[in-house]
Amino acid sequence: MGRSAATKDAHALFHSLRSAYAATPNNLKIIDLYILFAVATAVIQVAYMAIVGSFPFNSFLSGVLSCVGTAVLAVSLRIQVNKDNKEFKDLPPERAFADFVLCNLVLHLVIINFLG
Amino acid sequence: MAAPKVAFLLLNLISILPLLVSSFSPDRPTDRRILVVLDDLSLKSSHSLFFSSLKSRGFDLDFKLADDPAIAVKRYGQYMYDGLILLSPSTERFGGSLDVEGVLDFVDSGHDLIVSADANASDLIRNIAAECGVDFDEDPSAVIVDHSSYAVSETEGDHTLIAADDFIQSDVILGNKKIEATVLFKGIGHSLNPANSMVLKALSASPSSYSTNPSSKLSSQPPSLYGTAISLVSVVQARNAARIMISGSLDMFSNRLFRAGVQKSGSLNKYEKSGNEQFITELSKWIFHERGHLKAVNLRHNKVGESEEPSMYRINDDLEFSVEIFEWSGSSWVPHVSKDVQVQFYMMSPYVLKTLSTNGKGLYHTSFKVPDVYGVFQFKVEYQKLGYTSLSLSKQIPVRPFKHNEYERFITTAFPYYGASFSMMAGFFIFSGVYLYNK
Repeated sequence: MGRSAATKDAHALFHSLRSAYAATPNNLKIIDLYILFAVATAVIQVAYMAIVGSFPFNSFLSGVLSCVGTAVLAVSLRIQVNKDNKEFKDLPPERAFADFVLCNLVLHLVIINFLG
Repeated sequence: MAAPKVAFLLLNLISILPLLVSSFSPDRPTDRRILVVLDDLSLKSSHSLFFSSLKSRGFDLDFKLADDPAIAVKRYGQYMYDGLILLSPSTERFGGSLDVEGVLDFVDSGHDLIVSADANASDLIRNIAAECGVDFDEDPSAVIVDHSSYAVSETEGDHTLIAADDFIQSDVILGNKKIEATVLFKGIGHSLNPANSMVLKALSASPSSYSTNPSSKLSSQPPSLYGTAISLVSVVQARNAARIMISGSLDMFSNRLFRAGVQKSGSLNKYEKSGNEQFITELSKWIFHERGHLKAVNLRHNKVGESEEPSMYRINDDLEFSVEIFEWSGSSWVPHVSKDVQVQFYMMSPYVLKTLSTNGKGLYHTSFKVPDVYGVFQFKVEYQKLGYTSLSLSKQIPVRPFKHNEYERFITTAFPYYGASFSMMAGFFIFSGVYLYNK
């Protein structure tokens, strides 16, 4: 009896999360997809390093850091662009996107330099 | 007016006089002028076969009595002879300026020596032999006696004339032809100093021989020299290529024993002529550098594909190494052919050790890859073979590590990381496009 109740609660939680997520605006969903792509790539690289070893360590760091940095910048963009966020109510979304582009340029410059 | 011109001409002629003397030199290692010191002039006739064989090979023999006051090997700092034969076993002191030190200096400067002792050898000869690494029996009246390996003869029944055939196994020292007949020996024996690594037994005694006074009763103590530890004839090759022969019997060189037939006791073989002449002649050829004298020239190395010697190599370079080795044949340098010359690429220990292959004409070559270690290396050729002069060559060469632009540009194992970074950049572009133009 308790087990089926727990699974019913889990199901109910899952459904409520899905429906709440469906209500988010499209542009935020695009950003979420981008973040997912970056994190997945980072995980693949770490798994590869665990198998092969960390021989060109600078290349490993560069690859992982590009994924993590991209994810971080995308998260910052999502925070600044989200209309439900009262802290950034007065920030124009264009300004947020411009900051995002500049930071990405700096990130990729550093990554290419450190890749070796 | 003509006199100064004539004097000038004479002066010029005198200055080229030393060049006319063809003697020992690094280019022609065979000795030419030999001083023979005898303690009895009758040796000239009783050992005439030995001397005439030397003369027929082109040596100039200068015979002197041991107490001749004119004996001198050195004059004004220059040696007048290239070789020394001491057939004076009972001489206590040489006349003239020759003494133990003089003989040793002669050998130390690279010249050759044949010393013969006999029964009742003097201290002078014993000291010379001891300095060369050979210890004669201390008892002055002892000779070698062998009751099972003596020469069968009607006259001498005390078994002091022994028949020996235990030769050193070396074609260089004793020649290509095997010495079939046994060698007759009558004299004293010696043992080799165990601290000396350059002295070899050319003719050993049989296990049943011992050193004793044949006319006195055997003492209760065992003889100090016995068995195969006794050497009848020894040779020494010094590090400066000087060669020394030390024999315990003067009779071994004599015409009588050269011509005598020999039958070893206990053996049915009877030889018409003893092996003495062949043994002594071949050994004297080796002593006077007609065989087994090597020289190495032209030690060269270069990168594969180039012909110049570089001043420095890089790690993991491919290089070629070559050296030419010649042997003196008595009249000219002929190529030395051998399968076991090795080269080391050495820094504190050999990183590479390769056997050189030869083209049959004296050129030895090989190629190998420089090891993955940088530092100052040496090409080393150390060749020490029984009977040959030892070769010890080395050439220093530094090896540097990679320059920073000599590493591989793209590392294969890092390709996933390269791919990830570029895919992030591509993703950024695509994302910007999609985000900006999303309705």
